[in-house]
Amino acid sequence: MSFSVTEPSKRTKWLAGILVVGYALITISPLIWIIATGFKSGPDSIAYPPKMIFEPSLEGYVNLFTERTRATQDMLETAGPPKTWYDQIARDQGTVITGPSRYGARFLNSIIIGFGSTALCMLLGTAAAYAFSRFRVPLKDDLLFFILSTRMMPPIAVAIPIFLMFRNLGLNDTHLGMILLYTAVNLSLSVWLLKGFIDEIPIEYEEAALIDGYTRFQAFYKVVLPQAATGIASTAIFCLIFAWNEYAFAVLLTSGTAQTAPPFIPTIIGVGGKDWPAVAAGASIFLVPVMVFTILLRKHLLRGITFGAVRK
Amino acid sequence: MSTFINGLLRLRRGPWEMVASILIALGVVMLMQPFAIILYSWSFLITLIGTVMFIIVSHFPE
Amino acid sequence: MIDTSIDKAAKATPVGLARRIRGLSDRTIAWIFVAPTIFLLLAVNIFPLIWTIRLSFTDFRVNRPNRVVEWVGLRNYERILSDPDIWATMQATAHFLIWTIVLQVLIGFALAFLINKKFKGNDLWTTIIVFPMTLSPAVVGNFWTFLYQPQIGLFNYAVTFFTGADPASFSMIGDVHLAPWAIVIADTWMWTPFVMLICLAGLRSIPDSIYEAAECDRASKWRQFWTITVPMVLPFLMLAVLFRGIENFKMFDLVVQLTGGGPGNTTTLTSIDLKREAFEKWRTGYSSAYAVILFVTVFGLASIYVKALNKVKER
Repeated sequence: MSFSVTEPSKRTKWLAGILVVGYALITISPLIWIIATGFKSGPDSIAYPPKMIFEPSLEGYVNLFTERTRATQDMLETAGPPKTWYDQIARDQGTVITGPSRYGARFLNSIIIGFGSTALCMLLGTAAAYAFSRFRVPLKDDLLFFILSTRMMPPIAVAIPIFLMFRNLGLNDTHLGMILLYTAVNLSLSVWLLKGFIDEIPIEYEEAALIDGYTRFQAFYKVVLPQAATGIASTAIFCLIFAWNEYAFAVLLTSGTAQTAPPFIPTIIGVGGKDWPAVAAGASIFLVPVMVFTILLRKHLLRGITFGAVRK
Repeated sequence: MSTFINGLLRLRRGPWEMVASILIALGVVMLMQPFAIILYSWSFLITLIGTVMFIIVSHFPE
Repeated sequence: MIDTSIDKAAKATPVGLARRIRGLSDRTIAWIFVAPTIFLLLAVNIFPLIWTIRLSFTDFRVNRPNRVVEWVGLRNYERILSDPDIWATMQATAHFLIWTIVLQVLIGFALAFLINKKFKGNDLWTTIIVFPMTLSPAVVGNFWTFLYQPQIGLFNYAVTFFTGADPASFSMIGDVHLAPWAIVIADTWMWTPFVMLICLAGLRSIPDSIYEAAECDRASKWRQFWTITVPMVLPFLMLAVLFRGIENFKMFDLVVQLTGGGPGNTTTLTSIDLKREAFEKWRTGYSSAYAVILFVTVFGLASIYVKALNKVKER
């Protein structure tokens, strides 16, 4: 049996484990709470003391996706018995469904803008990163710093001229405008990260390909791109998460057609007062995909948050 | 210390970047300190000088 | 272009082949690859930036497009830099910034230190701890208002559970003394994992051999911690502190959803104040000058950050 001085003792491990697990449970509890609230009924969600055990209900989700109005006696008589299960849930709260809510459209906007900007960003970012990694670009360091500094800028400060510019170009509240904007913000991260990933691919592979008669372009997409696939995938997820989560630009530059989910979720209100189960349901549907992405990304997370400086 | 002064005199990047960083940090502290409004008023100028200086000296040789 | 790989490749191949390999020259390809990125950044970042600087010397207002715009020179800057109210928002930002960094560094470092003890299942628990970091700050701010509700909120309930105080007796986001702490707590919850991850990378970059050597010298664990662990992690910690500093200096989404800047102006951070000037009062020229001041500050901090990045990269 080998003995190492740097290997912590069994007791230390136990103690460290208990403390970390304790912190993890505390830090995860607000998330569990919000997901649970999405499955509570209205009265249960605002009960005191807070209800840990409750009867699950889809009220929040039904309210999230529908517009309702308080039912009067003759409305109920003319409408007849509830036709569907969600009709039934609305009736149980003394309301009738008048139509779908805007949440679906906002969520779809988030998807279109998120994926659109990510795709564009990867296209431009991969090319730029390859050039920065393999060629001598004049003023390379200054350009790289400039690219990085664009991400650091306070969004509200940038939003003033962008608002004016978009208004003049008719890009306010359009999908295209938001896609271009998010692409520009994400480019810094993708160029820096991808440059790191491409730097790691041995240059000999391309040299071999060039000698075999490939052109530079062919060498790029037949040799470098497949090698960088993991890096490109994880960078894409980072860009997607950013575009998905972004709030400041979205709230200032969109109001209707192109509004994404983050500015919309806080504005959800029910019939008479804040409808917490519906807000929680909206937040849950919105946050769970990001949690899945976090799990997928966990190996590259560190790299993403340090612009590729920390590799491990 | 003497290598630091020497570096300054010979326009080397390292020590000058240090000076610029200190100016920027000083400006930021002046911007947000709660003690004297006069320091707040002059903070922007200090940060601006530090930032411009940083851009210039980062092109000095190592 | 002395010894790039392609030149080497070209020298090693016959003339006709070399021409085919080259096709487009490297210089052309480099430009084709970089140009779209630079163009987009120029259009969406630099052009607006120059526009902002120009506007900052005028009294332009977006909501009155037909009014004659006058050049006011440095007057916008003078007014902002002598305004005690803006100074107050800077102090509110400082309170937020300093306390979030202190708490996140302490908790984040402690967690990283413990996780580095490599107990069973540490990967799983690290992933769970990291969750809050990747969520949407605005949505997080919104649901923390629910947790902070007096009486029904989970946070107040937890405080009651441990201290016995009446859960309806205090409102984290309604009280002028508590609100600045409410935003600190929510931000700390969200971003401690960030500091933790970076510290963990720092701890893992320390080779075991250094500790083994120290052990041979009979240095105590306490001494090893202060003479090896802390100095080796410090560059990483600097990186985390600078990045969180920049991020929280421009903090908007989380706080605007959580408190909206209130009660009174106690949590009106700089970005929230700027948003009011620019998009509620529509004083475009004035707020452009405000924006330039923030730009320069962030740009300065970003230069130091990149320097710190390079330092870590060398490790």
